[in-house]
Parts: sequence; structure tokens; C-alpha cells
Amino acid sequence: MTTRLLELNPEYYTIWNYRRLLLRSFFEGAIPSTSNNKNDSTEHGTVQQYITDDLAFLLPLLRKFPKCYWIWNYRLWLLAEAARLLPSPVVYQLWQKELGLVGKMLTLDSRNFHGWGYRRQVVSALEELSVAMGSASASMTEHEFVYTTKMIESNLSNFSAWHRRSKLIPRLLSERNASHAERREFLEKELELVQRALWADPDSKDQSLWFYHQYLISNFKPSCSPQADAIIPDLPDADKLAYLQAQIEDLLEMLDGAETCKWIYQRLLELSLMSKSLNDQWPVASSDLEIWINKLLELDPLRKGRWEDLRKQIFPW
Amino acid sequence: MSLVSGPGRAQVAGGNLPNELQLAVEKHVKYIQSLDTRKDELEYWLTEHLRLNGVYWGLTALHLLGHPDALPRHETVEFVLSCQHDNGGFGPAPGHDPHMLYTVSAVQILVTVDALDELEKRGKTGREGVGRYIAQLQDRDDGSFAGDEWGETDTRFLFGALNALSLMRLLSYIDVTKAVAYVQACANFDGGYGVSPGAESHAGQIFVCVGALAIADRLDLVDKDRLGSWLSERQLNNGGLNGRPEKLEDVCYSWWVMSSLAMIGKLGWIDKDKLSKFILQCQDPELGGMADRPGDAVDVFHTVFGIAGLSLIGYPGLKPVDPIYCMPLEVVNRAVGR
Repeated sequence: MTTRLLELNPEYYTIWNYRRLLLRSFFEGAIPSTSNNKNDSTEHGTVQQYITDDLAFLLPLLRKFPKCYWIWNYRLWLLAEAARLLPSPVVYQLWQKELGLVGKMLTLDSRNFHGWGYRRQVVSALEELSVAMGSASASMTEHEFVYTTKMIESNLSNFSAWHRRSKLIPRLLSERNASHAERREFLEKELELVQRALWADPDSKDQSLWFYHQYLISNFKPSCSPQADAIIPDLPDADKLAYLQAQIEDLLEMLDGAETCKWIYQRLLELSLMSKSLNDQWPVASSDLEIWINKLLELDPLRKGRWEDLRKQIFPW
Repeated sequence: MSLVSGPGRAQVAGGNLPNELQLAVEKHVKYIQSLDTRKDELEYWLTEHLRLNGVYWGLTALHLLGHPDALPRHETVEFVLSCQHDNGGFGPAPGHDPHMLYTVSAVQILVTVDALDELEKRGKTGREGVGRYIAQLQDRDDGSFAGDEWGETDTRFLFGALNALSLMRLLSYIDVTKAVAYVQACANFDGGYGVSPGAESHAGQIFVCVGALAIADRLDLVDKDRLGSWLSERQLNNGGLNGRPEKLEDVCYSWWVMSSLAMIGKLGWIDKDKLSKFILQCQDPELGGMADRPGDAVDVFHTVFGIAGLSLIGYPGLKPVDPIYCMPLEVVNRAVGR
């Protein structure tokens, strides 16, 4: 009965709640809470069947309503019940299947934040179970990092994948016990990756690359800013200035042939401001700064208010 | 209150528009008033799980349009009270389980029509009972909030809790410091915030996170330049706003993006004129209501957020809206004692 209602209207969340209560009573019937033994296979067989059947029931609903909060949550609840009632190896298998499922959902829509959120939960559950089962190498950070590379290679304009990548990096470098030199190499490689893509088409309407670039260069901010997730936490100011200078030069080259790309001017101004905040000197002539701001006003009049504020920040008098 | 879409449709972009687009105030009022009369449509019942939200959306729109009495106050209060459960929480309609989302709408509605005293007199619990329902949804370890007993966690619920509790002056019921810490955990490199730690920035989640920080008086924690930049990039050439990169414009982002910009003092970073024209093109000037974008069917959700967006950018004739609460400014001032 609840099945038919939910197929018609999966947003009727009270029915999902009712279904949970029904399932709970079936579970109680199969494995009374007085039973201490998580390893009795007949009891578990029944519960496992209920759970896998309901997971299967959800699949077509999920495909039809991929952005319905209630469906994703109910699915998580089923897996939490599995973790509560079934032996770890069984639960691990269930979560492994979920990894496959969420991979497919993200192939269908790589910007579905429910999917990405679900993926984080799946990875976290698999890691915890691995630890519980005594595995030495439970972390999936490298695996997930490779996944973001794959997603980006198949579609550069995937802000969700770039975002995920940015969140994995601090943990990745920490797990690798990366030395200062290794961290520098890592950052340089990431910059190269983004810049190669930007060179190909700087003026694409796609913002993802420019935002990721902004994330990378924020490593060159003065150290008084919070540096908790910095790729290179102990980078000396002199080195930051050198990196900033190299970035400015790269972007000036990129400008050649892309003079109508507002992002380049925006980034040049940001880099100049960062440089100034480090050694109190502008890295370029103030006539250049003036030209860039005017270019922004010309090319991006929608955000005029922001460029005027930027002008006041650079030329306060 | 029906959450059915239509019957109106927003004007099609590029059609024969009058040179001077105007807000069709009377049509929108009539549209909202008509919503509860559509009980013969199947969709009326398919959207029952949103009913109380719908009342809040319609009521707020009417207040901003300067027609606070267009919905019958007594019936509104009766309906709200009929949604309350013994544990203090509210569902979206009688018979639906309690949930944070509808509890927040209930409080917002009662405060807007100044009926908290009726809750004390005739509710299943008074406001303290409602406050306790909300407070027990907080995870005291990480500061986050669940939507209900089944545990879904989302920064929307955290904001909802701070919103409703501050309106009832019961913020002390929760651990605000931990809630702030949880919001911080949801901050991203682009200055924005997501659903939960690790989640991508999204204008809706940014509104709730910045709103929560505003209520907790911790806007100092926001990277206003960086966030303002990201938000300003939501404006597209057609004047409309999207919710995150490479997505379509939608009139409801006139609220989520603009209120966030207002809270961090960067409203000027968006072209208000072009946005205003876009919002006005989302209305059906004959049948009333607003849609997500020109050409689509209208609904009350998009109607309130389009109107609230216009109020924020100072469209003449509208009542000022509070950017933190999405309620009339004078109502919030009275409730929180500003």
C-alpha cells in the first residue's frame, strides 16, 4: 500500500516514515532485540532480504526523481538499519553496491548535489567498515581523487567535481605524508592542469576552471589568513611573491588573443592585490591596474558595482 | 492553500512586452487568494505535504504587496494550530508527521499575524513546547540539526531552528556556539556554504548559512569579498540569477542570492535594474503569480521569492523585507525586539 502511494508521490514523507515503522516491526519479528547474536544467518537472511528488496524498490524511483530529498534519505536509513542489524561483511557488500549506483547517477547528472552528498556518505561508510573489519588501508582518498580526475577529464565544466577535488586535497597530502617539496610539486601540477584547460578556451562561459584557479592561488595569501587547508602551509613570503609573479606573467600571455576575457583582468587584479599585501609594493605599474579596471567595466557592466568597489580598494584617494 | 502550478504562465521573453514593465500587484493578490479554492484538482492533494510552507509563502507575499489582510486571519491561525502535534512540532497539514521545516513555517506565520498568544491559549503546546521540539533536534556533539527523528541533516534545518527560536526569543534553548561551528565546517574555498561539510556551494545553502551566522551575530566569520564575488557571478546576461555555476536562471534565486548579498553588504554588486526587469518578466500580468523563468507556469513559491527579491532591490510600493528572515521587516523588528 505504501509502495503504491510512494510511487505516485515520493514527496509524501509521512508515508516514508510509516514505511520505516512497518519495516522496523518486520525486523523485530525476524531478529528480536533480545537476540545478541549478530551472526545467526537465518534471522539475518530475512532482514537482508527486506532491505535489499526495498533498495531495489527505490531504484526506479530514484531514477525518476533524482532530486527528491526523501528518497535519498530513506535509502540512507535502510543502510543504517543494515549496519545496525547485519554482520559487517554483509553491510560492506551493500555499501559497495551503492558506490556503483552513485557512480551511475553521477554519470547521468554530474551536478546532482544529492548524488555527490550520497557519494561522500558511501565512502565514509566503507572507510569506517574497513577499519572495523581490521583492514590496514581503509582510506579511499586516493580512489576518490582519481575519480574527480576522471570526471574532470570527461567534462571540464564540472564545478561539482572540481569542488570535491578541492576538499580531498588536504587529506590526500596529509595521508601521503607529503614533504614540503612534494607539496610544491603537487600545487604546481594542479596549476598546470587548470592553466592548460584555461589556455585552450579562457573565454568559455564556464566559471568552474576560474574558481578552481582561485582556490589554488589562495595558497599565496599572506599567512595571517587562516591556513588550515593550505596545500603548502609553510610557504615563505618570498616564494609566494615569486609564484604570484609567475602567475601574472602567464596571464599576461594568455591575454594575447583573449582580450575580451573579463576573467583574466579580474585575476590579474586579484594577484596584484595579493602581491601588494605581502610586500606593500604593486607588482605592476598603476597604469596597468587602471587599464584592467576599465576593461572590467567595459566587458562586464553587470557587475559594475563590484568593479567600482575594486577601484576604490586599489586607488583609495 | 494550493501549491499547484498555474493556471498563469509567465510572459515569454522577447514577446510583445510593454516598454514599462510593472508589478501586477492586484493580480498577484487575487492569485494568492484563489489558491485555496482549488481543492478539486489532483495536484492540490499531491502537494499537501507542503501546505503549511505554502501558507507562509502566500502570506509573506501578501504582506510585502501591502495587502496583509487578504487572507482570513482566523482561518489561517486555525489551520496552523491544526497542524501541531503533542510534541510541539508541526506537520505541513493535519495527519502529516512533524518536521522542522513546517514547524519553522508555523512560527513565522503566527508571528506575522501576531498570534503567538493564541498558540499559548489553544495550541497543543505553547511556544516553549515548540522551542523544546526544535532544540531536541540539535546534535549536541557537532551542533548540526536534523529535520525530524529520522535524522536527515541539512544546514536548512539549522537556519530554521535559529530563525524560529530567535523569533520566539528562545535562542538559549540551543547551543548557538556549536551551531556556528557546524556552519563553519560547511564553508568552501569559494566563500560559499553547502548542505553539510564537504558539500558544494549553493545559493540556497548560502542563504541559510549566512542567515544563521547573522542571527548568531557572527557575520565576522564570512569572507565577504570572496562570497560576494561568487554571488555576483550568479547574474546572467538576461538579468536573472542562477544558484551555482553553469545552471539556469530561476526567479527564486532573486531571493537566495540577493538576501545573502544584502546580509554581507554587497547588494550593489548585482545589476538591480536588469534583475528587476527579469523578475517582472516572470509574472503573469493577467492571471497573477510568478514562474521560475519566462514562459513557465506560475506557483506561489516563485511568487513570494520574486516579490521579496523586488522588495530587497527597492522596487517602489513594496514593504521592506528582512533579508535574514524573509518576512516583513516591521514584523521581525517587533518579534525580536530590535
